[in-house]
Amino acid sequence: MEPTDALLAARLAAGDDYALAEAFDHLAPTVYGAALRILGEGSAAQDVVQDVFVELWSHPDRYDPQAGTLGTYLNLLARHRAVDLVRSELRRLARQARHHRLSAEGHHPSPGDAVAAADTADAVRAAVRLLPDGQRQVVELAYFQGLSYREVALATGIPEGTAKSRVRLALAKLETVLDRQLLESS
Amino acid sequence: MTADKRPDAVLPPGLRERVMAASHRARPAGLAVPEISPDSPAGAFGRAAASFFQTLNLLSDDDWHRHVLRDLDVQGLVGHLIGVEHDVQRGISGDTEVASVNHVESTQPAALAQSGRAPTATAAEWREAVDTTLAVAAESDLDASVAIYGVPLRLRDLLVARTFELWTHENDIRAVADLEPSVPEPSTLRPMTELATALLPFGAAVTDLHEPISVHLVLTGPGGGTWDVTVGDPSPQSAEVGIVMDAVGFCRLFANRVSPSDLDALVTGDARLATSVLTAAAALALD
Repeated sequence: MEPTDALLAARLAAGDDYALAEAFDHLAPTVYGAALRILGEGSAAQDVVQDVFVELWSHPDRYDPQAGTLGTYLNLLARHRAVDLVRSELRRLARQARHHRLSAEGHHPSPGDAVAAADTADAVRAAVRLLPDGQRQVVELAYFQGLSYREVALATGIPEGTAKSRVRLALAKLETVLDRQLLESS
Repeated sequence: MTADKRPDAVLPPGLRERVMAASHRARPAGLAVPEISPDSPAGAFGRAAASFFQTLNLLSDDDWHRHVLRDLDVQGLVGHLIGVEHDVQRGISGDTEVASVNHVESTQPAALAQSGRAPTATAAEWREAVDTTLAVAAESDLDASVAIYGVPLRLRDLLVARTFELWTHENDIRAVADLEPSVPEPSTLRPMTELATALLPFGAAVTDLHEPISVHLVLTGPGGGTWDVTVGDPSPQSAEVGIVMDAVGFCRLFANRVSPSDLDALVTGDARLATSVLTAAAALALD
């Protein structure tokens, strides 16, 4: 019997944790690399590696050996998971900025949370820097400083409706940037 | 296993341990997925009997008279199984004499009695005998020990061993009738693989395999799973052998219908010891 990805998947389905260890030893470095390319250095990329291998172990039947190699499958999982993290971090930053503005005391995350969040936030900020100037400005004001659309409009000297449409355009562009990061890393 | 052709990243210390621990929390090792609900012992036996009966109904008159096993044609083999049912019923009912009778000698009269009968009559008598066994078993303690043909087993295990027997003989018949082999449903296969792996140490004892061996046995496919079994004499030091093979293939081996060399197995560790373990797996089969 030749060791193949199909056999490895069958062993994982049979509950063979030796197979999981083999898969990790062979493929985790490339999975980690794929996550690092999107998230940068830090614990977020390690979280992605853990999520990917727990997913493989919990649902080995979701991998179809006919569709491609196990390495390709796991790297795709890693990239999707990493981009999901970036997107959810963007949403979290926006919520946090709004909360800070509305709350007199503000929110003080734990040091651990702050470090973990900072890694992903860096990736988000890097994506925002790729936006055209006008869109980048409104996103930074709305999401990183927590300004309302009216306040963004006042700060930039544009009508409120224009501020809203620029933010919508910027978010769509941001999705494209994140998707391109995904494609470029594949 | 193929990795992407990208430069690998150096893994941070501790990540491997962290991932393994999280994985084991999500799903314990040894459990197969997708999970199946295994048949009860009586359910497995009843399902094997239904499949066997279905095969009998496919046979032509010529098929019934083809030589299949020992000196028996198909009709004689079904007669042998009628005799087995009677012995099993005696054993369940507490008849201790059946514990020491010979498997072939005890059932030979029932096998020979089929000569000259209509095949449909033989099939009907066998079906009735199976139904009686199921009825007797349903009124008995599944954990009670029943000894027949020199082998004491709990009733629940005896019913699964009988599942093996019917499946094996069904395929003996299908082979001579030029029919495709029958494969048990995963829910039936699971109690079969459970029993076969549980009996592996006894098979080792029968084949005088005394060397202590820790066997990591992975049976792939529906009804399979992963077992860590120790065979041989008790010892703090044991050789480690890993065996990966198809669950149905392992059951055929356990039924002594294939030899270890016929099977496509992935072996890690000492190949000679792995072959000894696989030989032990087939040692408890009765024809």
